[in-house]
Amino acid sequence: MSKPPDLMQGTLDLLLLKILALEPMNGHAISVRLKQVSSDVLQVSDGSLYPALHKLEQHGWVTATWQVTENNRRAKFYRLTRPGRRQLDKEAANWGRISTAISRLLDLGHA
Amino acid sequence: MDFERWLHVLALRWRSLTGARQLDRDLDEELTYHLEQQVEELVGRGLARDEARRIVRRNFGGVEKAKEACRDARGTSTLDAAWQDVRYAVRTLTRAPGFTAVATLTLALGIGATTAVYSLIDVVLLSPLPYAAPDQLVSITGPYPNGAFAAMRRELGTMDVGAYADGHFFTLSGRGTPVRLAGTRVSAELLSILGVPPAMGRWLHAGEDAAPNDRFAILSYAAWQTRFGSDPHILGTSIELDGQAHEVVAVMPPSFKFPSRRTEVWVPLGLDPRNTVRYWASDFMPVVGRLRPGASPADAHAEIRLFQSRIVARFPWQMPADWNRDVSAIPLHDALVGDVKTRFLIMLAAVAAVLVIACANVANLSLSRAASRRREIGIRTALGATPRRVAQQLLTESVVLAFLGAIAGVLVAAEGLSILKVVLPPDTPRLMEAHVSWRVLLFAGGLAIVTGCSFGLAPVAQALRTRLNGALDSGSRGSGGSVAAPVRAALTVAQVAFAVLLLIAAGLLVRSLWTLSQSDPGFHAEQVVTAHISPAESICDTADRCLTFYRELERQVRAAPGIRGAALVNTLPLTGAIAKRSVVLQGYTVPDGKAAPLFWLHAVTPDYFKVMNIRLEAGRTFTPADLTGRPAVAMVTGATARRFWPGQDPIGRQVRFIDERSWHTVVGVVADVRGFDLARSVPEWIDGAMYVPHGPNATMEDGRIPSDMAVVLDTSMDIRRVSSALEDITSRATGPVVVDDVRAMKSITADAIAAPAATSSVLVTVAMLALALGTIGVYGVLSFLVSRQTREIGIRLALGARPSDVFWRVIGEGASLCTAGILLGLGGAFAVTRWLASELHGVNATDPVTYTAVAAAVAVVSLAACAVPTRRAMRVDPLIVLREP
Repeated sequence: MSKPPDLMQGTLDLLLLKILALEPMNGHAISVRLKQVSSDVLQVSDGSLYPALHKLEQHGWVTATWQVTENNRRAKFYRLTRPGRRQLDKEAANWGRISTAISRLLDLGHA
Repeated sequence: MDFERWLHVLALRWRSLTGARQLDRDLDEELTYHLEQQVEELVGRGLARDEARRIVRRNFGGVEKAKEACRDARGTSTLDAAWQDVRYAVRTLTRAPGFTAVATLTLALGIGATTAVYSLIDVVLLSPLPYAAPDQLVSITGPYPNGAFAAMRRELGTMDVGAYADGHFFTLSGRGTPVRLAGTRVSAELLSILGVPPAMGRWLHAGEDAAPNDRFAILSYAAWQTRFGSDPHILGTSIELDGQAHEVVAVMPPSFKFPSRRTEVWVPLGLDPRNTVRYWASDFMPVVGRLRPGASPADAHAEIRLFQSRIVARFPWQMPADWNRDVSAIPLHDALVGDVKTRFLIMLAAVAAVLVIACANVANLSLSRAASRRREIGIRTALGATPRRVAQQLLTESVVLAFLGAIAGVLVAAEGLSILKVVLPPDTPRLMEAHVSWRVLLFAGGLAIVTGCSFGLAPVAQALRTRLNGALDSGSRGSGGSVAAPVRAALTVAQVAFAVLLLIAAGLLVRSLWTLSQSDPGFHAEQVVTAHISPAESICDTADRCLTFYRELERQVRAAPGIRGAALVNTLPLTGAIAKRSVVLQGYTVPDGKAAPLFWLHAVTPDYFKVMNIRLEAGRTFTPADLTGRPAVAMVTGATARRFWPGQDPIGRQVRFIDERSWHTVVGVVADVRGFDLARSVPEWIDGAMYVPHGPNATMEDGRIPSDMAVVLDTSMDIRRVSSALEDITSRATGPVVVDDVRAMKSITADAIAAPAATSSVLVTVAMLALALGTIGVYGVLSFLVSRQTREIGIRLALGARPSDVFWRVIGEGASLCTAGILLGLGGAFAVTRWLASELHGVNATDPVTYTAVAAAVAVVSLAACAVPTRRAMRVDPLIVLREP
């Protein structure tokens, strides 16, 4: 990408990609997992979760299929694609670079 | 973006566009599931169901808003925007009907002309030949006689070969009035090599082209319909060709036109090794080959070269060392379209230039409009439209406009194509197959996009430079944007240059045509009507009977009312018929390694020179006594005499045919006649021309006197009356006689000029179009410049400038643009017209007269185009202009 992605937007994408890299999941499960792993630090409203998922799907980074859940309901499961995995690596590296840079900047004052 | 993902995304976008309703249902189900799951969770923790629902709803925060965001994520927004742009463009264009009409018309002419020529090129140059696996077909460039072909067929390993001899005529008799069928002699394998199955019947079997087992005939579909009434039981029946029974073995499909659509019947070659002269000397035939599996064109080429070095030694006589030495095997397609290619590419280049001019015109028009739309664009920018968005919208408008032009252009192309089909010479290969196909439509669509984007660039560039403040302040008729003036000047210069280039090309072709039509053909036959006479074999089986028939025919024709003179000749000038013989000339030694001179042999009756008004340069013409052949006499043309007996008196010299003993004494020298085409009396491979009396010594290469003759009549009667008079006379002969090709000699001469005339008339039309468009362009840009400077001119006038100062200033501006254009055009023409050289006769590709005339004409026309805006500038009233806000 030519310009660095909007931070919050990019962060949500990164988190979603990372969660889906572990296993395919449906939207509800993702929402639950998000709350668990971030210990409620990251407040992601469910209202913005789904648009983000759909955008990842349109970019071809995840695919969605309808599957039956444990409790015998039909739900849409998202799965990371190969380009999605590459995107995850890229964004993770990007995130690492930015956060290091910002930390360094913040440390300047203390020195 | 990698390809896999790109495909995936494309599929998703497609689904977003087409399956929106299904996607909405899916989205509902997905969100419902999510909400219900959360409700279940809360209920599991002990909340009441109603309470749980409320909390979940609140936490989710606007289900409809989320749905809308999801729909946005589907990525149709760019497409939506594009669609919005298209609708907006259509609305804008309908609000400016004048601009839209002019631009559409201009583009329609440019795109239409280009598309029409492309539709020809698509079929003639780009489509594969209508034969099986056409890329395996090659043409062997040298023609070979029967014997050499038979050896080639036996010995080549890289390809199967078939030969054909075009231009034969067969008299079909035994079915009412005898008629002449245009025929092609073919080797047994030719049709199977081309791989076109017959509509009914079978191909020839191997060996069915060798005498005496060669009495077969294959009919063209058209001949089967018109000559045999579509007789469904024709196969296996016997038809009489040249007095001999031939079994019909096949009828070819309507699409099969080989070697041209003239051929009505295909007849086996009739290979006969015992007839040495015919086997090795007559009918030098083109050869078509089909590469065998595994063989490459290079292999075939190498093998045919090797074969050529062997075959020369096997001729029963010494062949010239350089005969067919540079033979090669080239793709059949190239061989068939060879000389047409240049003409088509010239035409394509010409119409492409017109398209460029049209584009420049529309770009200029758009710039004028863009200047008046600066406010609109300024407002849109102020309201938050990004430059990219503005550019996209403007480009969309141009492309929509170009598509309007392309739609109208396809109509122009269809009309143009039908005109081209009439104008172009009918022997153009595959001309009639050209039509507006889907590929042509695709081409027109592609042109629309390319032209739209290219003329659309100018207003976009202008809009992007528009400064927000500058556009919104009140001086909206200010300097018109920094990009406009130089771009418009450049466009105008280019237009004039292209128009000059095209006019010079057209001018050269017209001058060449003029030279051709004014060149002295050597005969003056304003009142001559000719006809082709083909007597049946029974009349001409011996020389004596044949001559008796013709003497009687000539006597009766001469006695017929309304006929002032009559004569016979074997090959009429300018009809493509050639008779040739190798000769030995007394007092001329053939240089080492060269073949004996090859002469065009005319067999004529004594009055031929009088009827055709061919000037006698020395000696005498033939007398009736010469027709007996004792003593044998001959005449030569002036050029022949000068070439072979330079500085000597040709009268009394002797000449003989190479395979005969008796000498002919030259009794006269006549003027050269343009026999081959209007530029040449004989083709390059023939060395001279001689005449012999139509008597027993007028033998041709096959050792026989010619049986078919043309009769030339000095008469004022029209063709129909001549035709019936001739039929009346020939009906009294002892056997069937075909009289056809009854034509005025004038029309034969006119036809000879048809092919070059077609190219030049197309180019003249195109050049005129270019000049018209270019002139409009000059007018448009100068009007724009004047309107831009109205205020300035007003101030100048108010400060005391005279109207003549204004005149010189404005006209000077126009003149400098035109001069630059003309100079550039002249330079371009100088560089480019050498490609025309092959189409020019008697005029140099850098002919100064044409260049000067075109430059002067364009200067006058473009200055005239400057006149109106200049007048407007001189009439500027400073009082009115300066009071305007």
